[in-house]
Amino acid sequence: MIQENITEEEAKVYEVLKQVPDPEVEVNIVDLGLVYKVTKDDERKTLDVDVTLSTPGCPVGDTIIQHIQTILEVNYPEYAVLVDLIWEPQWTPDMISEEGQMYLNS
Amino acid sequence: MQAGLSTKNAPSVWVVVPHFLLGAISFLVAAVFIVFNYEAFLSYHLSGPVLSVVHILVLGWVTMIIFGALYQLIPVVMEVKLYSEKLAYTSLAGLVTGLFFLVTAFLDYKFQLTNNFIVGGSLIIGAVVLFVVNILVTAISSAKQSISKLYIMASAVYFLLTVLMGLFIVINLSYNLLPIAHNVFLKTHAVIGLVGWFLLLIIGVASKLMPMFLIVHKTREDLLKWGFYLINAGIIIIFVVTFFQQIPLFIDVAAFGLILSGLVMFLMFNYDVFSHRMRKKLDVGMKLSAIGFVMLVFSILSFIATYFGNPALGLPPGRIEIVSGLLLIYGFFTGLILGQTYKTLPFIIWLYNYQTVVGRQKTPLPGDLYSSKLATIHTYSFLVSVVLFVLGLLFSLKLIVLLGAVAMLFTTLVYGVNVYKMIFHKKQMIK
Repeated sequence: MIQENITEEEAKVYEVLKQVPDPEVEVNIVDLGLVYKVTKDDERKTLDVDVTLSTPGCPVGDTIIQHIQTILEVNYPEYAVLVDLIWEPQWTPDMISEEGQMYLNS
Repeated sequence: MQAGLSTKNAPSVWVVVPHFLLGAISFLVAAVFIVFNYEAFLSYHLSGPVLSVVHILVLGWVTMIIFGALYQLIPVVMEVKLYSEKLAYTSLAGLVTGLFFLVTAFLDYKFQLTNNFIVGGSLIIGAVVLFVVNILVTAISSAKQSISKLYIMASAVYFLLTVLMGLFIVINLSYNLLPIAHNVFLKTHAVIGLVGWFLLLIIGVASKLMPMFLIVHKTREDLLKWGFYLINAGIIIIFVVTFFQQIPLFIDVAAFGLILSGLVMFLMFNYDVFSHRMRKKLDVGMKLSAIGFVMLVFSILSFIATYFGNPALGLPPGRIEIVSGLLLIYGFFTGLILGQTYKTLPFIIWLYNYQTVVGRQKTPLPGDLYSSKLATIHTYSFLVSVVLFVLGLLFSLKLIVLLGAVAMLFTTLVYGVNVYKMIFHKKQMIK
């Protein structure tokens, strides 16, 4: 996970996001290192997620984005969900977690 | 920020899927042809059945799948939408109808220009012109500059040149418009088709997809650039010398040397990608693709062997050339296409069925749309068929060639079942 100093609630959001797989490699987007930042604001009832893709031409890119949006709206119905796709810093395979690497090679 | 995303640029499922369906049918038809005409492949003469099978394989199978896959992969490689889906449909109709007439013409081939040749050839040229226009206009509209794009654009131009040369050969045989050596012209037609069209296109697409599928970020672009210059230099030399009556052997050897050096660059690029991959375990699609690349190495070696000549190798006339062509068209192209089918077709079907429900319901993944077991079975049968074909041809063993053809037919049937499973997949939700 790239983000540091996350709250317990934000950690729960990461767990929810682990249900979203990259359909090609069949590894969840958190362990692939595609989720850069989760910000859960309980006062304003907003849930902001910064994600990236392994490549701008990713054939299933906006399906993944849509999956994130939907799964968060279902799990956090009182929150306004904003998924932002960002390209900086550029994703590299080094961002894959140990669990992700295990999945890729199992 | 999401403008570059390729799902938004993805073509309609109805543009891509018919190509895969018709490609699989052509593959099956070619295998049936070979089973019933296997002895023709042991003959030196380019007989009607051999020419029919070659054109069913290169146009109905390889080109058909490449068209479909390319329409799907354009958004990935160039990050823009395909220029026109109508052009794609019209091109497909022309290719299928033209191929039917062309194969009919070859079956009754007596070195004369028949109406079927004119109709078939014209339809195919029309289909290719539409395809080339579609690809080039799409490429020009893309702001993305990459070596992959350059390879694809060059391949489209060579494809047009190939079909124009093909029709010209048949016309010239009847009307003697130009005093050219037809065997040399035929060789150039084959080289530009196989190297200029297929290989350049495959390199262009594979250089983008292989690192993506194997999860590699830093790739050796320098090798791709050198490969592009070397292969193109070789093709251009071969094309130019076609119009000279006397060609010194060293020019021919040098041109092929340039092409082979370019291919070695591409193989080195792939080796580098393969050795730096994060995804160590290969799925069946990547295994088949890897087998295809091994076949390319054998194909290169056999093409080098053609310069020693069949007598020096203890082979009947024309045999090593047939083996080389087989390893390239059936070994490399088919191996790669079989594998890449599983990396492309399930995705467009999956997106079509599940794009709107992901997150709301648990859905299968693209990898669940086909049987990995069947894919593994036809991987083995494909390998067996290549080995049998090569052994049968090298040692002139008719029975072994027939067994190779039967193994090929089995491969086409099992592959066909998987393609059917994917194309006619019924939407399902996992509880």
